Amino acid sequence: MHALDLDYMLGLVPILLGYLPLTLEMAVAGMIFALVLACLLAVVRVRRLRGLNALAMLFISFFRGTPLLVQLFLFYYGLPQLLTFLVAINGVTATIMGLTLHFSAYMAESIRAAIVGVDRSQTEAALSIGMTQGQLMRRIVLPQATRIATPTLMNYFIDMIKATSLAFTLGVTELMGATQKEAASSFLYFEAFLVVAIIYWVVVEALSWLQRRLETRLNRAYQR
Amino acid sequence: MTLTRIVQSAAIALALGASVGIAQADTLRVGMSGKYYPFTFVEQDQLKGFEVDVLNAIGEQTGDDIEFVTASFSGLAGMLDSGRIDTIANQITITPERKAKYAFTDPYVYDGAQVVVRKGNDAIQGVEDLKGKTVAVNLGSNYEQLLRELPYADQIDIKTYESNIEQDVALGRADAFVMDRVSATQVIKDKPLPLQLAGKPFSRIENALPFRDDEAGRADRDRIDAALDTLRDNGTLTRISEKWFGTDITRP
Repeated sequence: MHALDLDYMLGLVPILLGYLPLTLEMAVAGMIFALVLACLLAVVRVRRLRGLNALAMLFISFFRGTPLLVQLFLFYYGLPQLLTFLVAINGVTATIMGLTLHFSAYMAESIRAAIVGVDRSQTEAALSIGMTQGQLMRRIVLPQATRIATPTLMNYFIDMIKATSLAFTLGVTELMGATQKEAASSFLYFEAFLVVAIIYWVVVEALSWLQRRLETRLNRAYQR
Repeated sequence: MTLTRIVQSAAIALALGASVGIAQADTLRVGMSGKYYPFTFVEQDQLKGFEVDVLNAIGEQTGDDIEFVTASFSGLAGMLDSGRIDTIANQITITPERKAKYAFTDPYVYDGAQVVVRKGNDAIQGVEDLKGKTVAVNLGSNYEQLLRELPYADQIDIKTYESNIEQDVALGRADAFVMDRVSATQVIKDKPLPLQLAGKPFSRIENALPFRDDEAGRADRDRIDAALDTLRDNGTLTRISEKWFGTDITRP
């Protein structure tokens, strides 16, 4: 047992914070791409588009059914052996690809559930006044589905931020990778990993606060 | 920011498609783990260590820009094979298997394989005493190979790690770890871990820089070898070794 080295921990904070932007960049990029892909997948699934529906189901089944770490290794270490030009995919890009595909599979299902979750009477009412399918989606279903899906999507975003820590296995020096290196030279593992845990925690807490505000806003129409 | 980075990566992907594997004369991409004190390690956000100094000295000799790329140790060979880096500076030991595959420079570090145990564990006095024990080694290292070649290898529980073998022995999760003598000595001297050397080194090792065994790789190797000769002759290698280890490990 050694006493906690507080000086070392305080000194580590600014160093590690320098790697927070990369962590957030990967998460934000992954989230944006995953949202777009998930919406496409969800629409395919809800509309049961012929041919595409089976493909979407296969995609979701694979990327939800395999660990993110396995997918990252597949993209970064595996694919370049098959297609040599893919060597140029760096660790950051491979991580964003992995996050996008992995989380879009989960998010597609929750967006689908949200769309399906909008009461049928809403659709019937909209169609009865002559709205087209596009108008129905844009004006009636999606705004309500957004409200239903927001809490789960925010949850996935928080999960994604933490999942970026896997990028260190691809040699990316992000928050976790930087911590590993500092710990490997100081041998003060407890201090180093405690500091990085607190940094992730604070970031996620800040997001949870944002999520609560967003939900309050989206619920305004339902409050009396 | 990230979008531009992705677009850039995509552009580079297309541009590099054809040229990957061709070593550039002006930039030498050197892979290392950054987690192997005191050969290559990160302290206060600075990449430091014996290997870093040696490679920078080589760069000064040849005029190459040295670009250090850090990645997990077990992934370095794959990065060299696939052209992501040009060589590895991570105390790479010359073994017959590696020699068949890569073009090595002349050795610039002479060292030995060492068994290390938790402080106070006097039951293990060397490699003979590892029978029935749990022994930690770094994944993909030649120390793993050395243990597997022992006649009683099947009686040793060999655990492979990406890093932190010292910590797991200090905690008692493994009975011993095997790595090179000079790093082990330095870690015990400088770091707050309760460890001790168990007996004498049991195998001589020679470290050198591996390059891909193709035309460009061998050309790089010859260039770097010439620079190493100069650094050996003018005392630079000895000076760098004294700085990190207090002794000259660059001569047999």
